[in-house]
Amino acid sequence: MEATIEVAGLRKRFGGTTALDGMTFTVGAGQVTGFVGPNGAGKSTTMRVVLGLDAADSGHALVGGRRYRELSRPLTHVGSLLDAGALQPSRSARNHLLWLAHSQGLAARRVDEVIEITGLGSAAKRKAGGFSLGMRQRLGIAAALLGDPPVLMLDEPFNGMDPEGIIWMRTFLRQKAAEGRAVLVSSHLMSELQDTADHLVVVGRGKVIADASVAELIAAASGDRVTLRTTARQPAMTVLARAGAVVTVDGADTITIAGLPAATVIALLTDGGVPFTEVSAHRASLEEAYMELTREAAEFRAGER
Amino acid sequence: MRSLIHAEWTKFRTVRGWIVGMLLAIPLTVLIGLLGPATSNFSCAGPNGESCAGRNPPTGPGDIPVIDAFTFVHRTLTGDGSITARVAALPDNAEPWAKAGVILKQGTEPGSSYAAVLLTGHHGVRMQHNYTEDVAGPSSNQDSQWLRLSRKGDSLTGEVSLDGERWVTISTVQLGLGERVQAGMFVSSPQHVEINRSFGGVDATGGLTLATTTFDEVRTDGDWSADWQGADVGGSPDDATGFTESGGEFTITGTGDIVPITPSLGSLGKTVESTLIGVFAGLIAVLVVATMFVTSEFRRGLVRTSLAANPRRGQLLAAKAVVIGSVSFVVGVVAAAITIPVVENLEVAKGFFLFPTSTLTELRVIGGTGLLFAVSAVLAVAVGTLLRRGGGTVTVVIVGIVLPYLLAIASMLPPGPADWLTTVTPAAAFALQQTAVEYPQVASDYVTADGFFPLSPAGGFAVLCVYAAVAVGFAFAALRRRDA
Amino acid sequence: MIGVSALHAEWTKVRTVPGTIWLLLGTVALTVLLGALATNAMAPGGDPAESALTGVALGQAIVVILAVAMVSGEYATGMIHTSLIAVPKRLDMLAAKGIVVSALVLVAGTVAVLGSIVVGLLALPDLTLTGPVLRASVGSVLYLALIGLLSLGLAVVVRDAAAAIGVVLGLLYLTPIVTTLVSDPDWHDRLRRLSPMTAGLAVQSTVDVVAQPVGPWEGLGVLAGWAAAALLAGAAVLRLRDA
Repeated sequence: MEATIEVAGLRKRFGGTTALDGMTFTVGAGQVTGFVGPNGAGKSTTMRVVLGLDAADSGHALVGGRRYRELSRPLTHVGSLLDAGALQPSRSARNHLLWLAHSQGLAARRVDEVIEITGLGSAAKRKAGGFSLGMRQRLGIAAALLGDPPVLMLDEPFNGMDPEGIIWMRTFLRQKAAEGRAVLVSSHLMSELQDTADHLVVVGRGKVIADASVAELIAAASGDRVTLRTTARQPAMTVLARAGAVVTVDGADTITIAGLPAATVIALLTDGGVPFTEVSAHRASLEEAYMELTREAAEFRAGER
Repeated sequence: MRSLIHAEWTKFRTVRGWIVGMLLAIPLTVLIGLLGPATSNFSCAGPNGESCAGRNPPTGPGDIPVIDAFTFVHRTLTGDGSITARVAALPDNAEPWAKAGVILKQGTEPGSSYAAVLLTGHHGVRMQHNYTEDVAGPSSNQDSQWLRLSRKGDSLTGEVSLDGERWVTISTVQLGLGERVQAGMFVSSPQHVEINRSFGGVDATGGLTLATTTFDEVRTDGDWSADWQGADVGGSPDDATGFTESGGEFTITGTGDIVPITPSLGSLGKTVESTLIGVFAGLIAVLVVATMFVTSEFRRGLVRTSLAANPRRGQLLAAKAVVIGSVSFVVGVVAAAITIPVVENLEVAKGFFLFPTSTLTELRVIGGTGLLFAVSAVLAVAVGTLLRRGGGTVTVVIVGIVLPYLLAIASMLPPGPADWLTTVTPAAAFALQQTAVEYPQVASDYVTADGFFPLSPAGGFAVLCVYAAVAVGFAFAALRRRDA
Repeated sequence: MIGVSALHAEWTKVRTVPGTIWLLLGTVALTVLLGALATNAMAPGGDPAESALTGVALGQAIVVILAVAMVSGEYATGMIHTSLIAVPKRLDMLAAKGIVVSALVLVAGTVAVLGSIVVGLLALPDLTLTGPVLRASVGSVLYLALIGLLSLGLAVVVRDAAAAIGVVLGLLYLTPIVTTLVSDPDWHDRLRRLSPMTAGLAVQSTVDVVAQPVGPWEGLGVLAGWAAAALLAGAAVLRLRDA
């Protein structure tokens, strides 16, 4: 089966509120796709529609080219973690995984394997109701891995994890993508995905705002800005402005140049004999890129209230 | 505490499902109440399709429905006077409540006022008047006794004598019968009924019975009209009944009875409580909401938020009980207050007759339904605190309160176990609705199935309260001891 | 294939929740206990088989809890999402639950009814193992299983455990209570014929069977109709509503 998730034109209304407003994106194999947006942007609803829990008013969601409800042994196609608390608290973690395994015709051996992989270990014999949120997330990951699926879809997997857990999760996600699987991870905090995701789908108000690789997004947010530190501010500004750059003064000895790459700036300054202590290409953080993208959606939202 | 109650009230009213569930109790009670009369169709048209007008039983003083049928050998007495007769004992095989004696009655119309001194089949000599009143006289197993009934103004005195000389007064009653009364001798014998109640069914066998006895040494004092006349009061003339006289000895054969009618479920006479048959369904709705009100706290850990807002756990439980109890009380009162007139209207339209109930009794039934709902809801809250599980709690309270009631009134159990169940289980509180009156001098079944609960309204309610109090006590202890 | 897996999953679920075994034991205990009490109190001339099997009226309450818990427990915890992700063919899941609850109740019901009959044989000289008595026994077991299916279907519609149990018990108790007030014999019989509990329990009568408003198997058929309707309603709701 193809390792893809394809979401096209999903619309859904709950009473008077629009949850999904033409949500469209594709998740490809071999990379971690971050699914980000503010709370209430429609991330969870999209995932629920993909998993056939909710029915969309229009549009479709396909996993490996097929509707989820048509899959037989679906956990061998998609592993998912929606709500880590979605289990019966009085059942032990191992037994929770066991019934899931049985639902897919999998042997009990596989249960012990995923317990091993996720590091649940001896806790698996305990009642899942007594687990901390972090332990429950690991149990949810174990459930997602049961069927060794080519597609993984995780909703806010970093929630409640301690720093050690977060590092484990990042490594785990990168590893799964490296194995050629399609991995979709949602989060409302871009910083969690900074070093994990290869590709980002940014959503707001039920639709996609940006769908690009992490590098593209950062470049777009950074623009061609260069920061220059020099004692000869005035001559530098003259030289650069003549070359067509837009120059703004940031402080006594720093200026920001837009419209010229760093290499050109260095060449111009050297040619003009202007002394400088530091030239650096400005690199926006993913967080800044994200804030920039979602500002509009967020402002709109705030304006409504 | 007041702010805590306010908080619990806000919790309650902001969940729409709970409000809907509570309010649902009202139409459920009304509609199921209507189901009884609505599905009861009977035709009583005569050969020419005449109406059912005369089918309802006669009513005595106070509009209570009565049976008033006997063989009457009478003359008219004007003003003060008395009648004395020696009455032979009824045969051993007579019905226990077959009656023979002397009587003063307003007229021969069924339902009119009377006073009588009489011998019974197995219950000795008695003085009775106006259907419901009864005083026992001295017991004796002599073959015959002298009975005397005399009136002076509105004062009527009944006396009995073993030898016609030494008289014992049984009772004196004040009863205005009017200047001219019909007075004389009478014999009645009620229907023989054998009811066999077993699991899942009632089997009744029986039929008309006759009683015959002789009266002699008849003496009248005062202003009596000419000849003795025979009358079949409340019945049609019959070859078997009547009287013969020879040489001052009257032999009288009669059938019938002179008693108030006692209600039984499914009969044509309807009591207030029979309109409230739907209360069990309303109660189930109330119990479900009360259970959810408490068990929802434990399900998603809301109780931790509640206890953070007020760490005194006992107070939290008390506030919940106050809120759900008050709401349930109001719902019960409203449900009963609407149901009773609505269902009674339909019953009357369908041709049933109603047993009269005093306003005070009716208020007790309405308030009682509110109390039944309120205390049951508190019981559900306490059980819910103990079990913390909605399903288990609802089952325990429904099976504890409604199932015994069902088993007792639906004739699924014989009277012994039925009485036991409605004594020791919380279902005893359904006695709050009983308006049917038990008369010691009236032979009837008086089983729970006919609406006669073994405990008084207050007693039955007390049983429910004990259950609720014990459960609340355990709930307090559990809430304090256990981790939230 | 998935049908078998879904069944295996439901079986594992019900097996690994600690409440199940207690509910099954409770069904047996309550049925036999009330049966024993009723046999002691039986009036002469009663139906001995029916007396011995009176406990079914109480034991069914536990069956209701068991069946409702299989659905409501999942909705209360949110586990229904996990279940539907594992078995997205929702009717497969419902069917699997139906088979599992029937199987459990058939086993517990058989033990309960056997126990009640043994107690009855010891206490009631009138009770002998005749054809009708065997029919009443087998019928009582089937009755309990059908009550389980009825509860399962309604629980899918109602979702909340307390509300679902309230609805089921209200439905069961409605007609026996209302019929006490109905004086028209036609309506009386009609109600008894159509109500899930009274019609279903007609299978227990062994004396004067002809006088019952509904025949023994026919009555069980009425209950089966109710159970089927509840399951259909549950299936429709499950398919159409978001989880």
